[in-house]
Amino acid sequence: MKLQEYTESRHNFEECMKCTVCTAYCPVLQVNPLYPGPKQAGPDGERLRLKDPWFFNYALKYCMNCKRCEVACPSGVRVADLIQSARIRYDHTKPKLRDRILASTDLMGKLTRPVAPVVNGVTGLKIAKSAMDAMLKIDHRRTFPKYSGRSFEAWLRSHEKEQAAFPKQVAYFHGCYVNYNHPDLGKDLVKVLNALGVGVQLLDHEKCCGIAMITNGMSEQATRHAVHNIAVLKKAVVDKGLTVVTTSSSCTLTLREEYPNLLGVDNSAVHDSLLMATRYIYERLEAGAKFRFRTDFHKKIAYHVPCHMERLGWSIFSERLLRMIPGVEFTLLDSACCGIAGTYGFKKENYEASQAVGEPLFEQIRSVNPDIVACDCETCKWQIEMSTGYSVINPISILAQALAE
Amino acid sequence: MRFDTVIIGGGLAGLVSGISLQQAGQQTAIISTGQNALHFFSGSFESMQEVPKRTLDLFAGAGIRVHYNPGVRLTPLGTFREAALSLEDTSLFPTPRFADKILIVSFAGYLDFFTSFLAEGLEKQGMSCRICVLNLPELEKLEQGPSEVRSVQIARTMDRIWEKVVQEIRALLRDEDTVILPQVFGLQDISVPGRIRQGVPARVVFAGTMPPSVPGIRTQMLLKQRLRVLGGTYLMGDEATRANIVDGKVHSIVTRNLGSHCLEADNFILATGSYFSKGLKTNPFSIFEPVFGLDVEYDEDRNRWYDPAFANDQPYMNYGVRTDAALHGLHKGKPIGNLFVAGSILGNTRPDLGSGAGLAIRSAQVAVDQILSL
Amino acid sequence: MTTKDFDVIILGGGITGAGTQRDCAMRGLRTLLIERSDIATGATGRNHGLLHSGARYAVNDAESAEECIRENMILRKIASHCIDETDGLFITLPEDDLAYQQTFVEACRKAGINAEIIDPKLAVRLDPAVNPALTGAVRVPDGSVDPFRLCAANMLDAKLHDGQVRLHTEVTGFIREGDTILGVRTRNLQTGETEEFRAPVTVNACGIWGHHIASLAGVNIGMYPAKGALLVFSHRVNQMVINRCRKPSNADILVPGDTVCIIGTTSTHIPFEECDNVAVTPDEVNLLITEGSKLAPSLSSTRILRAYAGVRPLVSADDDPTGRNISRGIVCLDHEKRDGLKGFITITGGKLMTYRLMAEMATDVVCRKLNVNKTCETAHKPLPGSEERSYEQVARRIWETPSMAQKAAASRMGTSVSRIGKLDRYDNALVCECEEVSVGEVNDAIERMEVSSLTDLRRRTRIGMGTCQGEFCACRAAGLLAKARNCVEKERSDLADFLQERWKGNFPIGWGDTLREAEYTQWIYKHVLGL
Repeated sequence: MKLQEYTESRHNFEECMKCTVCTAYCPVLQVNPLYPGPKQAGPDGERLRLKDPWFFNYALKYCMNCKRCEVACPSGVRVADLIQSARIRYDHTKPKLRDRILASTDLMGKLTRPVAPVVNGVTGLKIAKSAMDAMLKIDHRRTFPKYSGRSFEAWLRSHEKEQAAFPKQVAYFHGCYVNYNHPDLGKDLVKVLNALGVGVQLLDHEKCCGIAMITNGMSEQATRHAVHNIAVLKKAVVDKGLTVVTTSSSCTLTLREEYPNLLGVDNSAVHDSLLMATRYIYERLEAGAKFRFRTDFHKKIAYHVPCHMERLGWSIFSERLLRMIPGVEFTLLDSACCGIAGTYGFKKENYEASQAVGEPLFEQIRSVNPDIVACDCETCKWQIEMSTGYSVINPISILAQALAE
Repeated sequence: MRFDTVIIGGGLAGLVSGISLQQAGQQTAIISTGQNALHFFSGSFESMQEVPKRTLDLFAGAGIRVHYNPGVRLTPLGTFREAALSLEDTSLFPTPRFADKILIVSFAGYLDFFTSFLAEGLEKQGMSCRICVLNLPELEKLEQGPSEVRSVQIARTMDRIWEKVVQEIRALLRDEDTVILPQVFGLQDISVPGRIRQGVPARVVFAGTMPPSVPGIRTQMLLKQRLRVLGGTYLMGDEATRANIVDGKVHSIVTRNLGSHCLEADNFILATGSYFSKGLKTNPFSIFEPVFGLDVEYDEDRNRWYDPAFANDQPYMNYGVRTDAALHGLHKGKPIGNLFVAGSILGNTRPDLGSGAGLAIRSAQVAVDQILSL
Repeated sequence: MTTKDFDVIILGGGITGAGTQRDCAMRGLRTLLIERSDIATGATGRNHGLLHSGARYAVNDAESAEECIRENMILRKIASHCIDETDGLFITLPEDDLAYQQTFVEACRKAGINAEIIDPKLAVRLDPAVNPALTGAVRVPDGSVDPFRLCAANMLDAKLHDGQVRLHTEVTGFIREGDTILGVRTRNLQTGETEEFRAPVTVNACGIWGHHIASLAGVNIGMYPAKGALLVFSHRVNQMVINRCRKPSNADILVPGDTVCIIGTTSTHIPFEECDNVAVTPDEVNLLITEGSKLAPSLSSTRILRAYAGVRPLVSADDDPTGRNISRGIVCLDHEKRDGLKGFITITGGKLMTYRLMAEMATDVVCRKLNVNKTCETAHKPLPGSEERSYEQVARRIWETPSMAQKAAASRMGTSVSRIGKLDRYDNALVCECEEVSVGEVNDAIERMEVSSLTDLRRRTRIGMGTCQGEFCACRAAGLLAKARNCVEKERSDLADFLQERWKGNFPIGWGDTLREAEYTQWIYKHVLGL
């Protein structure tokens, strides 16, 4: 390389032209005046923090890590990465019990599964909600995701043999939500992939991707999970030559982008083989595979692009698959944040902001008045269902419903 | 994934191309590295002394209200520049002396609207000015953040409370025939500027602010919406990293987000803009076009890239990608048959097409016509 | 024409002049400082901003080394808000002779500089920017100093001691009676107004321009203008000052200063006519990048913000064409003794580091001439803003949880930040987002610090010194200045001058992101704002 042939900086902060476009698209800034905004928290703040870590501002915790600033930035600055990595480097306050509980999605799943009906009953109770609100500062107005009695892993293990019989194989990183809260989504994926002649395998014990740990100040735990998951993924990708599919846009972004960019965990061996299932399916269809759809499936579907899907840039695959279903009246909603941002909206101090951020999206959904809101993210699902009453379904499950038996 | 045409660059040139092609029945995709120069739009389309009907139709179809009236526009620093085609909320005057008595209205704590410069510039033209600063409690929430009393943030509030502003202005008006307001109205609701004009019993002129430009953002949103309604695909936040060229023709484009999933098309339009948007890249030794490695017209002696006087024309701003008459991009002197170049990446290599917005629109239309005639 | 009387007139608003005025004023003299341009426009504001430990001079110039380390320790106490105590490294690279390290360390110790040989691996841990190929490292008490802030604080303190200042005022001639200088005739370069000022003593502290001033007074000082070019990188790459452990040469010091870092310098003899308009050549830029990348390899791929050059006011000692072998020693000339010219002294040579000592020496001569018997107090009385050493504590005392902008203000203003501590919400709005300068801070500078242009404002507050180089803040600040001064028309041309001044430093390194920013600035000011 010649001197000054190109220039580089951490998360491209020196490429910032100070144009302030990111601040125009930040959903938090619109509702929370305590947040300094992506430009100041990101590239502007970075120069000061390099001068003296004392310049780190604790108000950076208000960033939802939705990445909309990065999508909007004309200069390719990884604004949200700058903010999150500043939090990792400089915020040494110990996470609160509440944040640790919210962030430990797989631990919570494991603990509650045997007593799921009880937990579901309790978290639904007004008195329990008030108690959580008072003691843990988890907002009482929130609806809690339900826990499932039997994990997805257990279910798939019981179908291992029949899955192995398919000529083509993929591994599935199901994530905590499918495993503990909503195994039906995993089952739907298996159904859809089987219809294409593809069998589904579990990974050799995945752990939570760690996204909630990153945003809740638990980067060390998140890094441990990342190291574990990459090792597990390598077994599938490198040793077995499998593609790994996912059904959650946030898990996918974490595995593909946050691991190397925020946690410094090298994922280059598996990066290109980690795909959202919608992309994998689309590519199978492009390669000649065919679905047989029901003829009596008539639905008005409004597709919401989750923030992390927007950042991945892969919503076109979900969109194209949904448009492919005969009898679907498809509307693409304006890309906007729903406000939940993972565990962010669960916290009492963020509730109002969270709902205000999502309001334009809710309003749009109400005006479209669809039968189904389609969306690739589980936390968006909770938020939109709770806030609008419309039912939100992952595109994979919609495909599964639309397939002929 | 396959399209009829893939457009690299989601600014004015890219959007005009995409919309025109979709209207003609093509399936197009636009790859855009984030938001674009429309966010820094002055409100007037430069070098559009003549406006073809198809351009006006395109804007009308997108719901963008423009007016054509050759004359001058008022700049945010109180000077005047020639303009002919503008967004509705940017007024055009036959001469700089457009009023007698003017009331200039701004908001407390708003640093990006230059009332004193405006007043001084207008008084130079013989108009008298009075400046009033409104103190609105609705803006107080913004003021808690040190950098939030900026145009876009104010505009979001104004979409809700513009009627109140109209009332305040009515109370403030004495004998002024004209009111000047900052361009912070109608970010989401396009009807607001017109309704303010109806509500105020004097002529209302909206003057520009420090970017980001509210009318510019609105224009971008409307064009993007139009493309989507027509069935076009807009890949926001993605970046074309390289092209696969087979037998002198572009086969497909590789993007950062899609990786191995290439975007194939019959035709391609390169509308990535100039330096700011990295359509052209520079280092101490060269100026180059990063996606296709197209030939760039520039002086190899770096010392000649600049004029030491900031106010002078800067040679580097004239440099651009080389094309043939039909705007095919040239690679090592040879045209690439299915690649067309549009917008400011052309620099001043095609002075016949104008500059700025005019160049973007005209070159996009040349490219579109070529593609559709194939 | 008006005439005013003072005890002493100081010519030159660089750090030497400002320091001398402060010292004189603190010793009870009625002082006037006259500066042709603005404060710190000459060599004061055009160097590394290095708080020398003296180590660089230890081998060749023990006297300068000793002065440096003494003043270094004094400045840490009296000018803490201008100083960043980063410490420094002298690294030996494979192509350097490691044996020099021993000579170097011994010379340092002799001069009283705490130089400690450390494991090269430790050096890389202390500052990961250091070239990992190093074969040796010595740690010394270097640091960085903001010369604008230091100069402004001296001038502010002189004002607090009833000193008067005339900026943008040129000396057109001396009032002279026989062999005695009685005062100066001046012309204000902004208003054209002419004035006369009288004082029994006039001090020439004009740096390289002192040559011209002396000749106006009819005496000759053999000065040697040596241009030094530097590059500003757009963020702090290094946390410690990095020097080469070898005989001083080109581009061998990298200083982390405020939010940036600076590599320099070169040394070229230039004619006096060029001193007013020094330009950085492409060869100098290449040399600085090449040599700088040896100290910290990441410089080869770090965005460069600007290039600038200053002129060292060296006093010729021999015919060395590089100017490097001239001692950086202080030259204090009593022209009565030297040339038989009464009432005129010249203080020159020296360096930023030893300004206080130079001021003390000059003031001693002034006091002797005026028969004033007061001792110098500048070595222990802190400058305004430096009454407390930790800006973190200052900020915490004023604000419970200071915002980033408030922290930035505290780091720039020291204890003086209390002046903007209780301002209303409008004053907390940011003018310059890159450097986090608020309306309150800008207005404070306008009110108290003799600001007549945006460029003046930049030197006092850092507006426009960040990555965007004034793209956004210039216009906002111009609005504030126009309001405070009620002079819109002047602000319009001031804005153009400011942008021109920024561009001057940008185009010599106009590529990559810096060129993108320049194009964007052109677009905004010409096409959108209509300047």
